Amino acid sequence: MSDAAQVLVNSLITGSIYLLAGTGLTLTYGLSRFPNFAFAEFLTFGAYIGYLTMQYPTGCLAIALVTAALATGLLSLAAYFTVFRPLINRRAALIPLMIASIGLGYVIRYSLGECWSWAALSYQQVWQTFTIGDTHITLLWLYLILAATATSIVLHLLFVFTRIGKAIRATAANPELAQASGINTERVTLFVWFVGGALAGVAGVFRAADTQLYPMLGWDILLPVFASVVLGGIGSFYGLLIAAAILGIAENFGIVVLQALGLSTEYRMAVAFLVLILVLIFRPRGLGR
Amino acid sequence: MDPVYYIEDTLIFAGIFIILTLSLNLEYGFTGLGNFGKVAFFMAGAYTYALLAQLGVPFYLSLSAGALVAAAIGLIVTLPALRLREDYLAIVTLSFGEILRLIIKAQEGIAGGVHGIAVPAAFPFASLRLSALANIALIGTLLLGSFLIVEALAHSPYGRILRAIRDDDTAVQALGKNTFLFKASALALGSAIAGLAGGIFAQYVQFIDPYMFLPPVTFLVWIMLILGGSGNNWGALAGGLVVELINRGTRIAKDYLTLPVDPNNLQFILYGLLVIIILLYRPQGLLPEGPLKTPARKEAQKWLSSPPTA
Repeated sequence: MSDAAQVLVNSLITGSIYLLAGTGLTLTYGLSRFPNFAFAEFLTFGAYIGYLTMQYPTGCLAIALVTAALATGLLSLAAYFTVFRPLINRRAALIPLMIASIGLGYVIRYSLGECWSWAALSYQQVWQTFTIGDTHITLLWLYLILAATATSIVLHLLFVFTRIGKAIRATAANPELAQASGINTERVTLFVWFVGGALAGVAGVFRAADTQLYPMLGWDILLPVFASVVLGGIGSFYGLLIAAAILGIAENFGIVVLQALGLSTEYRMAVAFLVLILVLIFRPRGLGR
Repeated sequence: MDPVYYIEDTLIFAGIFIILTLSLNLEYGFTGLGNFGKVAFFMAGAYTYALLAQLGVPFYLSLSAGALVAAAIGLIVTLPALRLREDYLAIVTLSFGEILRLIIKAQEGIAGGVHGIAVPAAFPFASLRLSALANIALIGTLLLGSFLIVEALAHSPYGRILRAIRDDDTAVQALGKNTFLFKASALALGSAIAGLAGGIFAQYVQFIDPYMFLPPVTFLVWIMLILGGSGNNWGALAGGLVVELINRGTRIAKDYLTLPVDPNNLQFILYGLLVIIILLYRPQGLLPEGPLKTPARKEAQKWLSSPPTA
């Protein structure tokens, strides 16, 4: 049964990435009411900033995470200021907003491809591996689980106890009413876009450190991240906590099933698609709403 | 390369992409449905055509089958999302484009997997010139056909309901129309036209593999429609032509200019900026949507402008 333990560990790792990335996406999605497809490229951007930091002799994962979070948070703010806010102010409909986000994604992705070429890079760091029974777990994975847990706790405390957290919930629920009650909704929106971008940067660094780094990094996990967000209920952080776990487990157990059936493990993306379709048929509002 | 052949090739590709843009115009321009996985239906048509043509099925049958398969897939995949908000449809279609490519890539048994599949040409002429001309004639005919169909639909009572659904879904429902059926039929028809484009693409290039059907194809079609003007078939035509010319122009420039950046990267960066700039400064596109051409329009105008009779 040690196989099952390893699959569970893998699920936890996958789920943690989806949780970190999905939190950033679901918060901005819930507040600004459109899916930002350029979010994939925010992940990739964070990963490359992390790579840049790790190139220096003093570079370590912690510094890479902090710089990637800050830089990607700023990128997200810049995207909001230059592209999305002007469009929203012009009362652009949902589909033009999505198209603009795809366009922005192309600008970022191909700029990264230009700077670092399209070949895969790696952080070139070997992580210490612990073995319990037959189950392997690396130090990086422990950091990732720690980061995901810490983020969840901090966000929970933020939403329940702080003024800004309550303002975010109020603005997401009803922007007009929130504004009428004296909440500076613009400032709330800026805060959420920054935090969303920062979380994307963190998720991107972990993904790149665990696998490889290439301009399609973010795009390649966008589908399961979107599936988690929709399953959790758009804008719902608590729903996402469960949804990311479900996606992580479904994908990793899906791989086992695929192997048993003699099918290509490339189909694991299809698992996320299946979850997405099932959610839309049976519970389109998601778990958390 | 022979310049005349290059022009012919450009015309053929422009034609294929304009047909795709027309199909997106039917879905998004008139009905307001955001199909972000256009490439999937193009791909479905191309592979259906390829597989049937290899079995020796006649050209027109393979082409129609491609259109039908694309329409069926379009219906099945989008049904769960059609009753929901537009963003769900966008996420589902976008994801489906990726999944379909993944399946064809992973299953070598179906159509060669990553290695691709050879497609018999519809016009087995020995001369390159002759077959290019035959292709231009074929694509021109199909382009004209789809243009006339989409244009006729757009100005029919059916098209009026589609536009009404786009502008106010709830109001149309309140008037007793089954908006779901209208949306589903528009999507099926749009997918069928995209499948048709896929079939002619496959027989023209004579070899297809999964890497020809990446998400940028969808994005290119969206740029064409948004630049040209969504909701206007002439706009779709103009947008398709302009973007295809930009595409070819930069490819030629690549051979003569030495740029400090990779032209392929530069091209996509510029496309991304272009679409953002159009959406910001000219969201209606080059040729904005005009009023409906309905026979009763003059009548209605007269009625509206006449003073009310007691």
